[in-house]
Amino acid sequence: MAGFADALRVSASGMEAQATRLRYLSENIANAETPGYHRKTVSFRAELGPDAPAGAVRPGPVRLDPAEPERIYDPSHPLADAGGYHAGSNVNLLVEIADTREAGRSYEANLRMFEQLRQMSAALLELLRR
Amino acid sequence: MNITQSLAAGQYAASRPATAPQPGTGGNLAAAAAGFADTLAAGEGAALAALRGADDPHALVTALAQTELAVETAVTIRNRMVEAYQEILRMPV
Repeated sequence: MAGFADALRVSASGMEAQATRLRYLSENIANAETPGYHRKTVSFRAELGPDAPAGAVRPGPVRLDPAEPERIYDPSHPLADAGGYHAGSNVNLLVEIADTREAGRSYEANLRMFEQLRQMSAALLELLRR
Repeated sequence: MNITQSLAAGQYAASRPATAPQPGTGGNLAAAAAGFADTLAAGEGAALAALRGADDPHALVTALAQTELAVETAVTIRNRMVEAYQEILRMPV
């Protein structure tokens, strides 16, 4: 049963990692109009520590996208410089939405895996009941 | 008659050790039961932490799935053991 328990934990770590990713994506989308905001990106890494099963995924450190923020022409804006431009955010909504979709699909895949594992263990124990 | 009785008693005394529990099995079962209790306690702890908002719901789901797996295994094995015991009890003597 250790294989099932470990696999369940690995699947759950995948779901947790995708949930963390979704949390930063929502932050990016919420701050799409914030002047000077740099979008946050999360990388994943495999777990090697002794407290989690090998192969579990965990989110790595959060990084800021170093891309130049978009310059918006709006002379009436309080942050506008002499030329009438101010810095927007470097969030591209299209990229964020695509990323969100990917995170959702990946979460779903982990969820299906979880369900499959439970079905398999139930079927195995069903064998003993007869 | 007397000889038969003493023979039967002798046979009974000779076959008694066969029904004595073997020293290895009990320890293994006790360890398994302790592991089962640990899993249950971990599941309860995770449920409490999740309700308090201290733990991630993913941890709760994992802990509950593992508890379910442990309970199902324990119940199935117990049923099999009880069945085997009843089978022995039904044996015509």
